[in-house]
Amino acid sequence: MDDITTQFEECLRRHLRSAKPNPINYDVELVQLGLDSMTAVAVLMDMEKTFGIRFPDDMLVEGTFRTAGRLKEAVQLLRERQAS
Amino acid sequence: MTRSLPDQSLGPEWTILELLARGIIDDSEVQMVRDLLTTDTLKWGELLEQALRHKMFPMLAHQIMSASLRFDVPTNIYMHLESALEWNRWQIEVFRRETVRVVQALADRGIPFVVTKGMAFESTLYDSLGTRYMNDIDFMITPRDRDKVMTVMQELGFRPFFDWAKDARREEISSRLNPDHLPKLAREIDQPGIRLIDIDIANSLTWTKSPFDVPVEEALENPVEQPIPGMSGVSIPCFRPIYQFLFTVLHLFREAWLQKFVESGTDVGLMKFGDVIRLIDRNQNKLTDSELLRIMQTHGVTDAVAWVLRHMDETFHTHAVELLALEKHGNEKLLRSQMRSPGYVNAWSESMRGRLQSKSRGSVRPVAPAHRGS
Repeated sequence: MDDITTQFEECLRRHLRSAKPNPINYDVELVQLGLDSMTAVAVLMDMEKTFGIRFPDDMLVEGTFRTAGRLKEAVQLLRERQAS
Repeated sequence: MTRSLPDQSLGPEWTILELLARGIIDDSEVQMVRDLLTTDTLKWGELLEQALRHKMFPMLAHQIMSASLRFDVPTNIYMHLESALEWNRWQIEVFRRETVRVVQALADRGIPFVVTKGMAFESTLYDSLGTRYMNDIDFMITPRDRDKVMTVMQELGFRPFFDWAKDARREEISSRLNPDHLPKLAREIDQPGIRLIDIDIANSLTWTKSPFDVPVEEALENPVEQPIPGMSGVSIPCFRPIYQFLFTVLHLFREAWLQKFVESGTDVGLMKFGDVIRLIDRNQNKLTDSELLRIMQTHGVTDAVAWVLRHMDETFHTHAVELLALEKHGNEKLLRSQMRSPGYVNAWSESMRGRLQSKSRGSVRPVAPAHRGS
């Protein structure tokens, strides 16, 4: 499976103001990078469009995008599921 | 509740709507509305647009008709308003029948619930005149009954419905991330002028992870049975007055304080305040004893209630804060704030009156950097 890091981070930076000038810390809560209830929806939609995936209902919970690391894992999992 | 006549600085059109929203209670207000409606400088386009924005078309129509102003209003406008009022009355009839259908199904399963908002208020606060506009039928349940209620609603022919939204997927994701409501439900019907019935089922008095909330299980205890006009022997369960007041005020707070509602163009309107004013007027004795204050303090919602009532008093010249003895509650920082994300609050400097009248609220941005809220 291709490394999605560059596309993933570009996607985050499009929506999270505080993520733009700095390297993304994958352990920090995304709320600290400017995620709110509106941008959370926008980020998930952008991930779906960018990677051609669809978050199932059971993944549409806060835990999926608490940190950049958790969100990247979720995106990778959905890409793998789709590929198999 | 006493109130002085509004100033007319925002024009006769806005003054008419403010008077109607808070309810006409004496001859001086009747005369003021009549004078404003017959003034030569009245801009009908502005009045109709604002009435539409604030869901007051049927109420404006009723006022003009009951004041016998048929020949003082341009004929085409009069005819359109008359049709709008008649259509609203018809929709209320259809909604009443559907409400009873859902009420009976939920009651048969022993699920605790109440009917809220428009359907609950139409007969008790608006005298069944057909003047209270409603988009949908609203219910309140407990979070633990979400799955059971969804099953009942599907058996009744309802399905999750996101097509009403500009972006259906966005709405679907948003609904899943904020489980304070079930996904919006709809059922197709075959009635003249009405093709879909929407039902909105909440399971919180405010929103997911709100710092201001009253447990829904407590609010649903001892509901009052409310008759349905024109349907003999049929009633619907509604919140008892104290919780009806708390829900209505906290719901207004939600739509006014959370920035996402401003950005989506669905935040607070005049009639939300109109509901609160009428609730206080009609339940004054029950709201001014110590029980309300005790419940608010127990659940830490006093500042949120004071936020709504202070903005309401400033806007409509009412005296709700004094009446409910909340002068010592609420604070300037909260009063001028708006929530952007959990834990972060942005300052907000507009007056509520200016905000209600503004037609471009979504473009108004917070004036100060976010600070960590309580």
